[in-house]
Amino acid sequence: MSFTRYATDDSVVSSETVVRGLWSGDYNSLASFFTSSTTPTEYYLDVYDSNTLTNPSASIQYSIQFGNSNGSGSAAINPSVPGYSPSRVVYGQYRNLVYGTETKNFSFDGDATTSNSIYVINVSRARYKESLLPGSFNLSLKGTATSSLSLTDDSTTTNLTRFIGENRYFNIISGSNGAYYTAGTAAINYGLFFPDLDIIVLNANALTSSLGGGYFVTSSLGNSTAFNHRNLFDSINRGNALETGSFTLKSSETISARYFFTRIKNSEYNYTTNPSIIDENGNLLYTTLVNNPQTYITTVGMYNDNNELLAVAKLSKPLVKDFTKEALIRVKLDY
Amino acid sequence: MAILNPTYVTVDAILTTKGRELLARNDGSFQITQFSLADDEIDYTLYNPYHPSGSAYYGEAIEAMPVIEAFPDESQIMRYKLVTLPRGTSRLPVINVGYNSITLRQGASLTITPQTLNYLGATSTFEANGYIVTVSDSRLLSSFAGTGITITTPGITGLNTTSGAVLSSSQVGTSFTITGTTINTLFGSSLSTLTTTLTVIGRDSGARITVPLNIQKVATV
Repeated sequence: MSFTRYATDDSVVSSETVVRGLWSGDYNSLASFFTSSTTPTEYYLDVYDSNTLTNPSASIQYSIQFGNSNGSGSAAINPSVPGYSPSRVVYGQYRNLVYGTETKNFSFDGDATTSNSIYVINVSRARYKESLLPGSFNLSLKGTATSSLSLTDDSTTTNLTRFIGENRYFNIISGSNGAYYTAGTAAINYGLFFPDLDIIVLNANALTSSLGGGYFVTSSLGNSTAFNHRNLFDSINRGNALETGSFTLKSSETISARYFFTRIKNSEYNYTTNPSIIDENGNLLYTTLVNNPQTYITTVGMYNDNNELLAVAKLSKPLVKDFTKEALIRVKLDY
Repeated sequence: MAILNPTYVTVDAILTTKGRELLARNDGSFQITQFSLADDEIDYTLYNPYHPSGSAYYGEAIEAMPVIEAFPDESQIMRYKLVTLPRGTSRLPVINVGYNSITLRQGASLTITPQTLNYLGATSTFEANGYIVTVSDSRLLSSFAGTGITITTPGITGLNTTSGAVLSSSQVGTSFTITGTTINTLFGSSLSTLTTTLTVIGRDSGARITVPLNIQKVATV
């Protein structure tokens, strides 16, 4: 006999939440920001962790986009059809994703403020794994010499889980690590943090108001190529110059694993088909192994009813097995 | 009195190529129901019954060795299974298929009937639960069937196909008929023979043998 069936209670499914730093290398703070001059577009601006010209392994960390419900701030896609511009495309794209309707504009402060201009930070798929971790979002922005903002989500200030449609969200407030700077002080909501959509929507009007003074100007001119998304990138860069690594985020991923408890009884698996233990006639090499056979387990193979090998696990070192020993090997299979 | 240490060994498993294939099929065939143990990299000639420090040290060299990581090719791992036999067994079971290697012309068939030597006191016997025969590269066969044992038919993906990955295929039975592929594409322009392996494992004894399987190209099939 060389197979043993698992009993029903020999396996259990468990789900665990794994939290990692969001940025490349599992860092939770991003210390430098680079854009690539080879792919300028009015739709989005990719932000890298290092210089793409000198570091071939530079990878996109997130993208910045600007949207306007009327198409302002970017040139028309077709000059003969005014208003249909990248900014309108972007606004409509996220409005549909969040609200599922074309009749409602983005609103903040619990629907008290609506805005027809938004900035969006869209985290790269390879970075966020499954979702963004509420409470880990910190972003410093700097406008004029005297104006700066530290943004965070308000997840630690509320026990409520808020939803827009089926999308979980938190307000973006002035503070750090998920809390207001001054506890209990109501503040401006600078945007919406969607951990499951992996996007951060910022109210362009609120940012302009707090960071303005000529340093953060959101162009609302129609049919003009303003590259508004560059505003946010420059502001993040200036904020990082004040405090390196000021953009922090973590990812959260639920990993389901199945554990198999492989139970080996004392009378089982004490012989081996390993050819190095027998001579050319099939006799055991050593007479001491006849009555006191000993084997060394290195591998656990997991099979289906058709004896097809589906998964395999290796031990870190050989496990001695003989008629006086029993073993329990817990095998973890991640999905 | 002492407190028993309830430790257990925890290891992470990886899916084999076959496991990934069956998982992707999503037809319920990915169901882990049983396990087996192996000692592929153990060299038992390192076992030293003459160790000067006594029997506790006979396996010293083996027990200190680091084990290599798992790899996903199901035809290359779990080669030497541990088996359960009566205490006092001095000769271990060996599989005999009657061939040291098998060569088939394209389209030709061959039936093999494995036997087990030195098993349960018999010089030669057919195992009650039959044998598992695995061809490492199923593309090289146009048909592959096992008879004599009633079991859910294992997957025969890849038979007589000329593209796709190298996937193994297994059959269970007491007698097996294989037919060489009739498709020429695998030979390319220069090859006259394609080679894979046929592995026979006793379902009761765990004994195993691997023989080379050669498919010879013919001008007209």
